[in-house]
Amino acid sequence: MELRTAGLTKQYGSKTAVKRLNVTLTNGVYGLLGANGAGKTTLMRLLCTVQRPTRGEITLDGQNIWRLGERYRELLGYLPQHFGYYPDFTALDFLLYIAALKGIDGKWAEGRSRELLEEVGLSGECRHRIKTFSGGMKQRLGIAQAMLNNPSILILDEPTTGLDPKERVRFRNLISAFSKDRIVILSTHIVSDIAFIAERVMMMKAGEIILLGRPDELTSQINGRVWECSVPTSRAERYAAFLNVSNLRNEENGNTVLRVISEQPPVAGAVRAQPNLEDLFLYYCKEESKP
Amino acid sequence: MKNLICFELRKIFSKRLTQAALAAVLLLSAFLAFSTYQNKYASDGVGREGTGRDAVEIEKAVAAKYSGILTDEGVQRMLSELVPKSGENGLNAIYIFQNTLQSAVSARFADAQGNWNGLRVADVFGDAAVKIGYVDGWLSTSRNMTRVSAVFAIFVIVMLAPVFCGEYGGVDYLILSSKYGRTRCAAAKVIAGILAALSTAAVVLAVNFLAAFAFYGGEGLDCSILFAQLTALEGSVPFNITCGTLLAYQAVLTVTCAIGTAGVTLVLSAACENQNVALAASATVYALPILFPIPETGVKLLPLALFPAYHAQFVALMSAGRISGALLYAVWAVPAATALAATGGAVSRGIFARRQVS
Repeated sequence: MELRTAGLTKQYGSKTAVKRLNVTLTNGVYGLLGANGAGKTTLMRLLCTVQRPTRGEITLDGQNIWRLGERYRELLGYLPQHFGYYPDFTALDFLLYIAALKGIDGKWAEGRSRELLEEVGLSGECRHRIKTFSGGMKQRLGIAQAMLNNPSILILDEPTTGLDPKERVRFRNLISAFSKDRIVILSTHIVSDIAFIAERVMMMKAGEIILLGRPDELTSQINGRVWECSVPTSRAERYAAFLNVSNLRNEENGNTVLRVISEQPPVAGAVRAQPNLEDLFLYYCKEESKP
Repeated sequence: MKNLICFELRKIFSKRLTQAALAAVLLLSAFLAFSTYQNKYASDGVGREGTGRDAVEIEKAVAAKYSGILTDEGVQRMLSELVPKSGENGLNAIYIFQNTLQSAVSARFADAQGNWNGLRVADVFGDAAVKIGYVDGWLSTSRNMTRVSAVFAIFVIVMLAPVFCGEYGGVDYLILSSKYGRTRCAAAKVIAGILAALSTAAVVLAVNFLAAFAFYGGEGLDCSILFAQLTALEGSVPFNITCGTLLAYQAVLTVTCAIGTAGVTLVLSAACENQNVALAASATVYALPILFPIPETGVKLLPLALFPAYHAQFVALMSAGRISGALLYAVWAVPAATALAATGGAVSRGIFARRQVS
């Protein structure tokens, strides 16, 4: 299966959210990284056919997804960043409704819904109304609905938002087990989630994909540009103001260890560190990540 | 598809506002029926008078004495036995009310002093065979239903305004990315909307008719609406149809009002981003035609059939004209409302199918 975008562009008035995007996605888990406003959510909406591109097209195995219509959406599972629900529906009813929308047969739909509620840790609440759910529970219900039809293309926009660490681990395991022979695209600001489960990382900036590759390949691009240095805690904030600092860690001896992304050693005595995805993100999105 | 329609119906009827509005319409129906019944007054002119249940019994007893086809002899009997010859403080006899039959005969065949005005049945009603009897209960029911229908149309708007735009708060992401979201789901919403309008119309009609049967019994359904008391609304419908036919038309027009209003509301629900806006826009579109001047008689009134508000305010449409016998031009409301519902359904489905989230 091959999902391809060709010259994909989406404009909102004068603002271009996605700019002439050409990318080919095959089976595997893709982690989508980018600062706020980079175009991640718009790209996902375009892939899910909830928005039409201004220019360009998306094809699945050579056929335009809008022309495929139901045949494309049949293969699709989507968890939007923010989604609505019916407060008076129970979790099970909600999944059965989504199953009906996805054209899933009644009996199979109920079995699959219960199975997914079990997998996302909501089986005990399947008869509870959604209005009684916490934010994390709603998010887990959202994950379950996206996977109802065993989608070949699963698109998850900020799926781990609101999940506690235990639930995040459960989610990562769920996606890892599910992802075989499918295209899974997930965007999150929690870079460690991507580091754990993504086989490939796409980084977006200003509507364009600036990086695409395996995490280790990409992080190796900034080998030698990540440093750790120990400075007095009283001066740590002053360093942080002009250095590209990815982490600060206070030590008991009154010093703070700064993790800095820099072409040159930021201070005397700085030592090279092994880069990770967070460093990569900060390296490419330095300006956007500044408050 | 059936499954989707059931879910859509459930969404429609699970809304608190819908439940409260339906309860309000049913309560209004019950209140109007009960208060009309309680406020009934009648006197037989020879000493017996009463209100409420007693009034209905007096009316029925008086009507039973003269029931049958209206004749000149019957008119003379009623004028001599029922009509007072002078009112208190010199009140015009036409305006004196003792019971509905007395009022009806006075209005058409008496002068100011209560004496025969010289008109014969044929002068007033032509060749029509006017069957008289106890019609007051049904005519009161009809009058009440006109009010209920107007409120019911607003209920339909309240009920259906969120059908499409209620999803625009975020569920549309899930719906539009699902297999049938842009196709069968949109169709299911339209079908469920129309079904909801039809089913609630049936409930409202049933409540009104059952209340009428309970309070007034089944008598008089085969009697003409023409020989009604002076103030009866149905005096404006100048055709010799029975109370049963009148109520059948009213039931049909309530249903056509429901589905016509549903068609308009569904379009605006799909087109508006916000359900409050959809509600206000639908109510405006519904009510606007009433504000414009309309022709007073004849087939020129027929375009009114296109507007659901005139189905609820049914007298104008009912008086537009007669095709033959009891078949009135008002039946044009049926194809008009069907066309409105079908067009509304198709347009709203199209808008939703092409929707892009924002």
